[in-house]
Amino acid sequence: MRPAQLCLTALSSILAVTTVPALAGPVMDDIKANDSLICLVSPTAPGFSVPDSTGVFQGFNADFCRMAAAAVLGDADKADIRGVGFSDSMKTIVAGEAHMGSRSITRTGTRDADEGMAFVVTTFFDGQGFMVPNSLGVSSAAELDGASVCAEDGSTTLLNIADWFGAQGMTYRVENIADKTARLEAFFSGKCDVYASDVTALTADRQLSENPADYVILPEVISNEPLTLVARPDQAFEAALFWGFQVMLNADSHGITSANIDEVMADLDNQPPAVQRMFGADSATTDMAAKLGLVDDWAYQIVKQVGSYGEVFDRHLGVDTPFGLDRAETPNAHAANGGLMYPYPIR
Amino acid sequence: MQHAPPPARRSAPDRVGLAVVGAILLSLTILGGNIWLNMQAAGVTPGYGFLSQTAGFDLSESLIPYDAGDSYGRVILAGLLNTVFLAICGLVLATGLGVVMGLVSVTPSPAGRMIALLYVELFRNLPKILVLLVLYVVAVRGLPPVREALSIGPLHLTNRSIYMPAIEADARQLWLLLPLAAAVAVAVLWHRHARRIKRDTGRDIVVLPVILAAIIGLPLIFAVLADTPLVPSLPEFRRFDFDGGARLSVQFIVVLVTLGLYHGAQIAEVVRGGILSVPQGQVEAARALGLTPRHVTRFVVLPQVLRIVIPPMINQYVNLIKNTSIAIAVGYSDLMSISGTIINQTFRPLEMMLVTMGLYLGLCLVASSLMNRLNDRLRARGAGGAA
Repeated sequence: MRPAQLCLTALSSILAVTTVPALAGPVMDDIKANDSLICLVSPTAPGFSVPDSTGVFQGFNADFCRMAAAAVLGDADKADIRGVGFSDSMKTIVAGEAHMGSRSITRTGTRDADEGMAFVVTTFFDGQGFMVPNSLGVSSAAELDGASVCAEDGSTTLLNIADWFGAQGMTYRVENIADKTARLEAFFSGKCDVYASDVTALTADRQLSENPADYVILPEVISNEPLTLVARPDQAFEAALFWGFQVMLNADSHGITSANIDEVMADLDNQPPAVQRMFGADSATTDMAAKLGLVDDWAYQIVKQVGSYGEVFDRHLGVDTPFGLDRAETPNAHAANGGLMYPYPIR
Repeated sequence: MQHAPPPARRSAPDRVGLAVVGAILLSLTILGGNIWLNMQAAGVTPGYGFLSQTAGFDLSESLIPYDAGDSYGRVILAGLLNTVFLAICGLVLATGLGVVMGLVSVTPSPAGRMIALLYVELFRNLPKILVLLVLYVVAVRGLPPVREALSIGPLHLTNRSIYMPAIEADARQLWLLLPLAAAVAVAVLWHRHARRIKRDTGRDIVVLPVILAAIIGLPLIFAVLADTPLVPSLPEFRRFDFDGGARLSVQFIVVLVTLGLYHGAQIAEVVRGGILSVPQGQVEAARALGLTPRHVTRFVVLPQVLRIVIPPMINQYVNLIKNTSIAIAVGYSDLMSISGTIINQTFRPLEMMLVTMGLYLGLCLVASSLMNRLNDRLRARGAGGAA
């Protein structure tokens, strides 16, 4: 063995035993130094982020903050989740006052071109949709020729509706109402047949009716709104967020949830290879942990403390919640079921 | 009793005034220049080229044919016409309501005075946007949905619109303007004739029936002779909505009623003040001369009231025109609503706000100059009478 080679081997063995790798970026270092991960969510978004009785944010978006804390710090409760308004949250991340944002930000070209923030992975595929009363007997937006449509005045929704109805060769009448109370009142009283908005907004607004079960959201989605996690640029931290999310999707593929993960771990030798690579003691994920600076069993901690993607979706937005979103009918279904949630291989 | 105004004193030029005007002009120039520079620095060229681009959004209602494929210029015109239509209807309603309530408030009847007082105090002291939203929610909840329309013959009342029969539009109907103009000429001539006979002989001859007969009869005879197409169109229910006929949207009616009630209350106070300012002695003198109460009001009180109330009424009318912009809250596509949507889409706030401001300013200036002219004529007549 030549001296240079010896030197390298010694160096790599030193690197292997030290727990803090030299490669971690500034954001990752900052999170570890403070033992806390600052994550921004929307202050009031039913189902996505709402403070509970103790003031802690709960919801679909808040759970991705916990996912990051579980991966980096090993404890989901070390996520410092703060509710901040939309434009302020972007500024806060760019200014370096927060580590990440999980607040329904649509990933667009011009936003992504900003070097102060990095869009990482889409957690929710939203889009503009239509809600109608069941009594109308409509099951597809293609049956809406001649209908009256309520939409927010001044919004891009107006443009999307005009484009869509125009492209379908269908006529409609718009009720462009600026005041939200008046708009919802008009829809719930049947002044308009259809209410057009983002699907998530429709699910939340449906809850404001006297009987939410009387309304149905049609399957057609007429605009693309990929709601994406945002990080302060840091290659290791971005990778941690991306692959943390992939763990949740892969767990989803194998039906592993926070409830049965311990059974899976107890019987790991009889699990499929993909599951072993994800949760094994000397596996792909431990290798990634060393390189990215995560806790060794980060994949287990994410599933144990937060859950699989499907579990998180159903917990906050699913059919058993007031929002009643059937995941299989949204673009957020697993790729195997025709959705856009495509798990990347962990190996 | 007219005094000539005191002759203007010749004095040194108003230096302070000139300095203030100069300072204002200078600040505006600097501000404008700065905005221009900042826009150029941000890569935005100020301009109105966007007005010819496709608007791409639809309106709840329009008086002219319009669809999403038309230009921004046309959608602004449609919005302006919606605003003008709403303002004219609002002026008529508010004036009618205000005059009636103003008259009621000075009647000897305590019940009448109480009603007028309640009305004025209620609507003068509530924010109009609140009145609008309350009326909107009440109308939308109270009126039947379109599938359970309250139908009175061909008239259908729903919480969406009021549907009524109409005559299908046809360009050839424009010819009817000819006999209509003739009828108006006949009416004016007949009115003059009647006044001359009244002056010379004291006899009354029929006026109103003749005028009505001319205005209805002449176009009708013309239509029959010239075979003008006048096809009636009845509203009929299709899958989602009534089709055909004419419609008056609930949001239009609600905004109109809100403006009518709100400004009616203010106008009632103006009218009451005008009536109270006519000295009681004049009424007593007129009664002593043997004039009937109706004639006292018609020939002694009203002419004086009119002269007093017109300046404050100009103020009311201009306010009403500007207040049509509350329509945005309930989805009546007025100028303000359209302007907001255009700004959101083109992101040309400065240019679009200037257009919108210019249009509102123009509308209000037209209204106040018309009223000022009326004021001048009444004053001239009053002065002539007193001379």
